[in-house]
Amino acid sequence: MMNGALKIALGASLMAVLAGCGNDDRGIGPLGVLAQTAAQTVAQRRAAGDEPPAPPKSPGEAAAEALRVNSGPLIQVGFESLGRTQVMALTGQNGALRTYMTPAEEALILRGGMLVGTRGLGNDLSVAEPATDALIRAGAPGTAPRIMRYYAGDGLERPLQFNCTVGAGPRAGVTVETCQGHGTSFQNSYMVQDGQIAVSRQWVGPALGYVTIQTLRP
Amino acid sequence: MRRSRLFRRLMATTLPVALVLGSAGTTAVAEPLRGRSMSSYGLAGGIDAPTAEMLPEGTLGATISWSDYGRRSSMVFQVLPQVTTVLRYSRVDGVREFENEEAITDRSLDVRVQLVEEQGWRPAVAVGLQDFLGTGVYSGEYVVATKTVTPRVRVTAGLGWGVLAGKPRLIDASDEGGTPNADEWFRGSAKPFASVSWQVNDRLDVVAEYSANDHIARYNTGQVFQQGKAPDSNLNLAAFYRFGETYQAGLYTIGGNTFGAQFSIMLNPRQSPYPSGLAKAPAPVRPRPAPAADPDGWSGVWSQDPTAQPAIQTALGDAMAKEGQALESMALSPGRAEVRVNNTRYVSHAEAIGRTARLMTRALPPSVETFVITSTAQGIPTSSVTLRRSDIERLENTEAGQIAAVSALTDAPATAPGLVQTDGIYPRFRWSVRPYLSLGFFSAKDGLTYEGGGQARATYTIAPGLILTGAIRQRAFGNIERRGPAIPGQRGRNYTFDEYRDNPALETTPEGVPRVRSDTRMYSGNNKPTIPELTLAWYAKPAPAVYTRVTAGILERAYGGVSTEVLWKPANSPLALGAEVNHVRKRDFDQLFDFRDYEVTMGHVSAYYEFPQGFTAQLDVGKYLAGDKGATLSVTREFANGWRIGAFATKTDLSAEEFGEGSFDKGVTLSIPLGWATGQPTQDRVSTRLRSLSRDGGAQLNVNGRLYDNVRDSHSAKLYEGWGRFWR
Repeated sequence: MMNGALKIALGASLMAVLAGCGNDDRGIGPLGVLAQTAAQTVAQRRAAGDEPPAPPKSPGEAAAEALRVNSGPLIQVGFESLGRTQVMALTGQNGALRTYMTPAEEALILRGGMLVGTRGLGNDLSVAEPATDALIRAGAPGTAPRIMRYYAGDGLERPLQFNCTVGAGPRAGVTVETCQGHGTSFQNSYMVQDGQIAVSRQWVGPALGYVTIQTLRP
Repeated sequence: MRRSRLFRRLMATTLPVALVLGSAGTTAVAEPLRGRSMSSYGLAGGIDAPTAEMLPEGTLGATISWSDYGRRSSMVFQVLPQVTTVLRYSRVDGVREFENEEAITDRSLDVRVQLVEEQGWRPAVAVGLQDFLGTGVYSGEYVVATKTVTPRVRVTAGLGWGVLAGKPRLIDASDEGGTPNADEWFRGSAKPFASVSWQVNDRLDVVAEYSANDHIARYNTGQVFQQGKAPDSNLNLAAFYRFGETYQAGLYTIGGNTFGAQFSIMLNPRQSPYPSGLAKAPAPVRPRPAPAADPDGWSGVWSQDPTAQPAIQTALGDAMAKEGQALESMALSPGRAEVRVNNTRYVSHAEAIGRTARLMTRALPPSVETFVITSTAQGIPTSSVTLRRSDIERLENTEAGQIAAVSALTDAPATAPGLVQTDGIYPRFRWSVRPYLSLGFFSAKDGLTYEGGGQARATYTIAPGLILTGAIRQRAFGNIERRGPAIPGQRGRNYTFDEYRDNPALETTPEGVPRVRSDTRMYSGNNKPTIPELTLAWYAKPAPAVYTRVTAGILERAYGGVSTEVLWKPANSPLALGAEVNHVRKRDFDQLFDFRDYEVTMGHVSAYYEFPQGFTAQLDVGKYLAGDKGATLSVTREFANGWRIGAFATKTDLSAEEFGEGSFDKGVTLSIPLGWATGQPTQDRVSTRLRSLSRDGGAQLNVNGRLYDNVRDSHSAKLYEGWGRFWR
């Protein structure tokens, strides 16, 4: 009988054969893509099998470690639909626009803490245009539209427009933005300090749902 | 004015919301009634009879249905919101057109047009033609109305002619088919049909139907055949079960004594599992420091340092290579930079340009305000996008239309003053050794065919536009065996491989047509190494909007020789004109370096036009491989995400008899970008061409690297169609 490790090794070498070799990665075809994906999975599983899995770090531990090794601005982001929490580091700043990235180069784009885009997540928000921004920062109640533009599956950028109401939340210091449109609704919550959004829970889109964003180091 | 055209394209992005929300039920926008299940003929709704339902626009699907009547493989495409087409390959059991056969194989084409959308009390109304190219076993026409009664129940009633009225048309077995039989449409007596569909839950649909179709085939020779068993009654029942968005299985009974099963796959090009793709985030814009912080950078003094450009070019080239962009050359002056870029990764050229522009803000000194990004294909510049750096800084991550409005698209000259080639770009050697697998689904005689093996391929780019390509292939397994073409007059019998190879006289049909493609199986299933391709290609750009190509060598598996092409395509023009002349000789069946006796000079002139919504039309007029003269019309729809679905038809001066079954050449092309399914950024595609039969009339040379598709990616129609991904 084949033992598990040998089976996996054989599987991996077969995958390598299927994926081929060369310095030209174009024109690899569906077979190659399937083989590459499978080979990655096998490699990951083998890697996981070789060493005992590290106990998952708690968000608090992860934040403390990131603050220790990275001296730049950091945020901690919980992707509710993906079930993961990650520390993201500032990789670019253009005026008030800040781009934060994970080590895997997935990005969140914020303007003064307000989410205006995501990149590399598969169901990205291209750009958000919240006319509610000033109301939220001022903590003033009112209504304003919010346009969310997405990369649609057909390759176009498609906007959704929502009507939003800004008001005080159930807890002191929390401003709530409730938006409706296209048969759906969502509610963003912001904690504003000196005009900056320090902590928030914001809706990215139909597929990604909500993210919670916490400023670790402004 | 260019602007208005551009904005019209961008305005198209403000329409269907349901695509983003991923659910059809949330909008009140009137849209064609969408079918929830597929009929045994592969159209939306019903079982054996039609409904007025449509599929979401752009949907591409396939249904295979088995019953005692035979096997129907149908491919459906929703061309427009109100127009569905189906191409069907069927095995019809019980029809003995020839003494020794139990069944016939039959191709048929249907079209259904929804004339009136459902609104208020008014039902959706459609008219349809079934099997309308030539008289076939399924020929019939209908007018039908469907109405939603409750959100879960729909009723349908209609009037059918031909087989739908149980009055099949007389089939002429000697007719080669393939041309519309318009004089018979909506003739003869009509009979009603009706159905009720009930959506039990999100997965299960149940349909009951009344239909007059009795599944009889009648020939003009007086022969009448019953397909399968005669239905006991006019009542049909079916249940359909859905697996996710994509798959559906169904069981049905026709008249209580015939049972069938079917399976459907539906793909919507607009609904990708990863709409934005999984490509890594782009490097963000790096704004320039204040002039006081970098006076040398802002004044342009840096340009007097001879080491500045090489250092910048190396740094920029390395950064671009990480994002799949090859920096081929660069011209740098204090106020302006031009980069020539070959995009090897992204389907959307706008995304490639957007990423390049952002990397330029990170690499270039502050005094450089004008960015010119020139796309190249096969080493030849195809178009330039000119942007102001301050616009890139100001508009980063805003609606893509804003940066489009301040960009300019122009033709790119062959060369520009000051261009410096990047070190190590030329010559370039690329090679790969990979398995290959080719599948055939629609062969009437062989059923599913497959072949697999290994292929080594190398390209050596000697200089920009000068490319040497070679490949060698070895089959390892497969069920395709070599054989000669069918023996004329002896249905079902073929020449053997040896018989055909050794007798060159057989390479001309009895009608005098050279066998240029009907012996294609002589080239299949070779167990020895073969050379599919060995060419030297030279691409050039003699004038700003004129492109040329010369390819010499072994051009394809059956022909070698010289292929030359010229194309006029301004970057902002929807119209392109081209001409191609080839002198080729037929290769020997061993597919190495030997040739057979047949030699021909052939070619065509072409006109191409880009219509809105991604439609392009191409008309070729000229001489084909067999020396026949005629024209090919192709219409293709391409989505911004790279999906391409097209149809083509060729008519030449060969008579229908000389051409053989099908009367003229026609087919469907399909190409799906792999990234659409996997989310990974790649330009790889899965492509296929469904063509009726390998025939000699209207046969085209399959040379690689034709200019139009190479050039067009970075031109206005496609660039602006995909412009929404500029900031991706």
